[in-house]
Amino acid sequence: MNRPKLCSRRHFLHANGYSLGTLALASLLERDGLLAAPVKPESFSEMRYDLTPKKPHFEPRAKAMISMFMMGGPSQMDLFDPKPMLTKYDGQKFPGEIKYDNLAQASSKCFGSPWKFAKHGQCGMELSELLPNLSKVVDEITLIRSMTSGVNNHAQGLYAMNAGRITAGRPALGSWLTYGLGSETEELPAYMVLSHPSGLPTFSGEHFTNGWLPALYQGTLIRPTEPRILNLDPPPSLAGAPQDRQLALLKAFNEDHLAQHPGELDLQARIASYELAAHMQTAAKEALDISKEPEYVKKLYGVDNPITKDYATRCIIARRLVERGVRYVQVLNSGQSWDQHGSLITALPANCAATDQPSAALLIDLKQRGLLDSTVVHWGGEMGRLPVLQNDAGREKWGRDHNTYGFSMWVAGGGFKKGHVHGETDEFGHKAVIDEVKHFDYHATLLKLFGLDHTKLTYKRNGLAASLTDNQGAKVVEQLIA
Amino acid sequence: MKLFSAAILFALSVTAHGDEAMLTFEKDVRPIVKAHCTHCHGEEEKPKGKLDLRLRRFMDKVVVAGDPAKSKLVEMIRSGEMPEKGKKVSEAELAILEKWIAQGAITANAEPLVLAPGPMISDDDREYWAFQSIKRPAVPSDVDFKKVRTPVDAFLLHAMREKGLDFAPEADRRTLIRRVTLDLTGLLPTPEEVETFLNDKSPLAYEQLVERLLASKNYSERWARHWLDVVGYADSNGYSEADSVRPQAWRYRDYVIRSMNEDKPWSEFIREQLAGDELAGATHADYQQAVLDPKRRDELTATAFLRMAPDGTGDGVDDPKLAKNQVIAEQMKIMTSSLMGMTVACAQCHDHRYDPITQADYYRLRAIFDPAYNWEAWRAPAQRLYSLYSPEERAKAAEIEKKAAEINREAQAISKKFLDEIFEVEILKLPEAERAPFRVARATPKEKQTAEQKALIKKYPSALATYALDLYDKKKQDIVDAKVAEATKLRATKPLEGFVMALMEVKGQVPATKLFNRGDHDQPKQAVTPGELSIIAKPEIEPFKPASVATGSTGRRLAYAEWLTSGQHPLVARVLVNRFWLNHMGRGIVNTPGDFGHQGERPTHPELLDWLADEFMQSGWKLKSLHRVIMLSTAYRQSSTSEASLHTDPENKLYARFKMHRLDAETLRDSMLAITGSLVQTSYGAPSGVGRDPQGRVVVGIDKGTITLNKVDPAGADDFRRSIYVQVRRSKPVTVLDTFDAPTMSPNCELRAQTTVAPQSLLLMNDTFVLENARRLAVRLQTAAPNDPRKQLQQAWQLLYSKPATEADLTRSLAYLDEQTKALTQYHHDIQHAKGVVPNPPQEAMASLCQILCSSNRFLYVE
Repeated sequence: MNRPKLCSRRHFLHANGYSLGTLALASLLERDGLLAAPVKPESFSEMRYDLTPKKPHFEPRAKAMISMFMMGGPSQMDLFDPKPMLTKYDGQKFPGEIKYDNLAQASSKCFGSPWKFAKHGQCGMELSELLPNLSKVVDEITLIRSMTSGVNNHAQGLYAMNAGRITAGRPALGSWLTYGLGSETEELPAYMVLSHPSGLPTFSGEHFTNGWLPALYQGTLIRPTEPRILNLDPPPSLAGAPQDRQLALLKAFNEDHLAQHPGELDLQARIASYELAAHMQTAAKEALDISKEPEYVKKLYGVDNPITKDYATRCIIARRLVERGVRYVQVLNSGQSWDQHGSLITALPANCAATDQPSAALLIDLKQRGLLDSTVVHWGGEMGRLPVLQNDAGREKWGRDHNTYGFSMWVAGGGFKKGHVHGETDEFGHKAVIDEVKHFDYHATLLKLFGLDHTKLTYKRNGLAASLTDNQGAKVVEQLIA
Repeated sequence: MKLFSAAILFALSVTAHGDEAMLTFEKDVRPIVKAHCTHCHGEEEKPKGKLDLRLRRFMDKVVVAGDPAKSKLVEMIRSGEMPEKGKKVSEAELAILEKWIAQGAITANAEPLVLAPGPMISDDDREYWAFQSIKRPAVPSDVDFKKVRTPVDAFLLHAMREKGLDFAPEADRRTLIRRVTLDLTGLLPTPEEVETFLNDKSPLAYEQLVERLLASKNYSERWARHWLDVVGYADSNGYSEADSVRPQAWRYRDYVIRSMNEDKPWSEFIREQLAGDELAGATHADYQQAVLDPKRRDELTATAFLRMAPDGTGDGVDDPKLAKNQVIAEQMKIMTSSLMGMTVACAQCHDHRYDPITQADYYRLRAIFDPAYNWEAWRAPAQRLYSLYSPEERAKAAEIEKKAAEINREAQAISKKFLDEIFEVEILKLPEAERAPFRVARATPKEKQTAEQKALIKKYPSALATYALDLYDKKKQDIVDAKVAEATKLRATKPLEGFVMALMEVKGQVPATKLFNRGDHDQPKQAVTPGELSIIAKPEIEPFKPASVATGSTGRRLAYAEWLTSGQHPLVARVLVNRFWLNHMGRGIVNTPGDFGHQGERPTHPELLDWLADEFMQSGWKLKSLHRVIMLSTAYRQSSTSEASLHTDPENKLYARFKMHRLDAETLRDSMLAITGSLVQTSYGAPSGVGRDPQGRVVVGIDKGTITLNKVDPAGADDFRRSIYVQVRRSKPVTVLDTFDAPTMSPNCELRAQTTVAPQSLLLMNDTFVLENARRLAVRLQTAAPNDPRKQLQQAWQLLYSKPATEADLTRSLAYLDEQTKALTQYHHDIQHAKGVVPNPPQEAMASLCQILCSSNRFLYVE
């Protein structure tokens, strides 16, 4: 990865009496291969988990990922999946059979997209006029128009898309990646979460839970406004060597304690979190501060526009984090703001206005820094929407119900194809009919790009080897890979 | 008749068909007709073609038992005429239908006599474990009784034996007293308490310890907190960015604490919270008598349970109609998740997708509460506050108000006199000819002025002199102000007026509850009558009869509360005991405490859950009895270290060890204050304030912030109260608590997260709260054992860990103090201090060590 290299870490340690030297030296040396790896203890109770970089199963294409998760279910036929037939039947009875989320609520009236589609880029990908900025970078992305999860509810959809199965309590994708690959930085959490100022998405913490993986792999939520991380400054009298001394003593006490409670993963995680916190003091502020970003970059994302400012800022931060070795970043919306059962005509354009420019800018920016090839960018939610009208109570109330039998999302970078459209839904955009990508197929493909075999990335639980894709018959979708 | 013949047929067909498996309606046929037919034929308000296929006995029109060829059902399907919409019936499915008819079209069981409209509740639904009546199961007897202290142990041993596990050995006394004290009081045991327990030779020492703690006031503060999570307690209204303060909410918090204190039966506790106003005989306009009586006042206060949901209706929100509906919707969520452990709220817009709860059910349940909220004649939060004045106080206040108003009028008159005087001077500046018309214009009320008059006033604005006296003559304004201040001062002598935040009905106002199409309040459909969820309804509650209440309140809530606490409700007691168990054991028997439905987890020990629920009810719904059953068990007293348990059961589903867990947010803060000797144990009353400090942290104190500046001033002793007495402002969660997973109430919290993340470490390393407490602890230690670091360290270990330091701990710590003192001496030597600041490196070194001890896992975890 083309990450700015100041100087080697060892050099840094010696050059300026780096205050965390004593504490972190051993693990840094180990990381750089200067210490022999400790013999892996056999006993379960002595098992330790850590975030040192792990070798993937095979040569990886991607090293990091930014997921712009759009909770609620963005409407594919209004954004990504043009359906002339639906427009033709607009207002008429839906001619086929429809799998309603709930029959009692549904109408069978076709709802042609009120927005126009046009071809873009060299690849000629068709996108809606609601996405003018993404339209300019279509040659970088793979648009999947045939996603399915088959479960028509937000919670289960989220679990499927974000944690591999429709059941609750499972580790999120980011936890699996950090568990499987460790971290590329000791200065920032390997898995970071950037939330919206109005609050977390529905099912809040479940977006970034480690489930039953060790607590070490849980996502770290950053405050949505400044200061994004509190308490980064040690008191003046303790800054530097005195705090190192404190932390060294703390570690000694904690190790004694752990020895009396072998195998308690939470205790291990907390020991590690102090080491990380110590590093974050020096690194996090800089990483989260976008004030020194050049004006043209801020403008590119839309920091100068009140409508895009928040999302733009968080996308820039996401890029800065990946640049600094963070493995997985989630950029979240609030509530389930894409869940347009009603008021689609006004709410959907508003959502797009806030996110389209920043998310397209993220691709451009990653590319110009040479980071796109090694960074997977994901844009999508837990479901899509139906071709028929919901809430037939006046145009301003029109909406669409849930649909998980065929919806769209896009991915880019990290080995995904460029300027590529994968899969098709039927003529009305209801169900995936060609090249269906099930949520677990997507996950298997994603892990492959990270050099991981989804059947081998497992965690022993209840005597079984549990995995992200877990016995669902997941297959890598080779057609998605460049 | 039909039932009879079906049974006969069943008997006949067994003989007729010999070994051939008999198909039944329930098992084989209903899934097919449910998938293809009953959407139109049965589940809609009016079944298509008057054909209802939800029960076998409705099918006679289309089924000729024994003769598929003559059965219209088969004919319609085979011809492709049906189903009209949706997926076709497959050949295999049709074959099943034909075979079933040929075999006699039987049912396995008698069919229900009446059927509620809407989707059918199947037998499978009815057989779901959580809807079964609570029956006391037998305590397993096939276990090693030496290990059984309370029946809890027998259930657990029975289950773990199958997995080859056994209880871990009993924890030592130091561990036990620390565990029990934290669990029951949310505070650490003092070194003296530890010492006493260690030296207690009584065979009942542990039991007596539990009793002592159950009787302490700190117990009620701790256990009230658990309930406040579930009800979503907050001191602010949430919903909009304004997040206005709820200045009277604390009375409900105090009510909960007092109820825990007196071990109020939960049946009564629940009745008061759901229908205290009806118990107290109060309505919106007629509550004054009730507030004067302590018991009835408590009952009114309790109804704030139904006022906990975020409520933006007093904050000028964009869509007031939506905001009102949202209050009721969120409150329904709180009520059903806290008491019923069901995600009933999912049925607001549509039938529940996983549990047998229909949308009609949702609105029937809502109808019980609607009269009190009455969203068509809505009352904002300020209109739901009820004065606590006695008649005497009210009279006194009125008298004072009368005098004050008189003074205000005087002030106004003086002001007018001054302005008129000024006017007489100002008017002389006008041309002679315009003076008279101007005088008339000025005397004319603004709304009656003609265009000419308005123009004239505009021409000579300064001559108007009807307001802004201070701009004409500051001194005269001062005279007026002094008069106004007199009135203000007088008003301040009124008796202090407290208010109860409560939910009451307006006599005679009973809005019709309507089913909202898709949950959209703008699309009301048919009216519904109040009632319990169909799946739970029993003759005790259905048909729903309101309680008779003399005041004119509908009595709906009281009737419902009585049903919930009747002992016949399948969920209430189970849900409550599951939470109590969870709070003690670190994991629920149903580990989704807010969802006992199909999407939730199944109970790991269903018999134990039922036994506890029954035991709880048998002991008069008393929580303290249940504490004893759980805490006196062998299971609770186990050590937290057990390699076997950790290895085979890391999540501790079998309870073969005590589950180690981190101190929760409030315990962490309160304990830190307690060990430094700064905890202020004032109970009850208005909460300590919070504000954002310049670093962006939310801290306890007096908020002096402005739009441009964050500032919090210390409030003295108030800053050191227990966390339960700190204001819960939804938009300003206290950083120390928030960082350690204290919930933000939107609307409530069913299960707290327990995270382990770097921001927590950063807080313990650098936050002023921690640094200040470490400093105070160092001072405390120095005072107790001046200049004796060894002794000081021993004391610190006792305070924080309830155990002595080892020699290795001491050696390591002393070496640390030595080095750190040198470093800090050097630090202070190198910098210029402000005048009056005298550095004390040894003490600072000790403080930095205290900080480490407070950040250590031994302190942060309950073993």
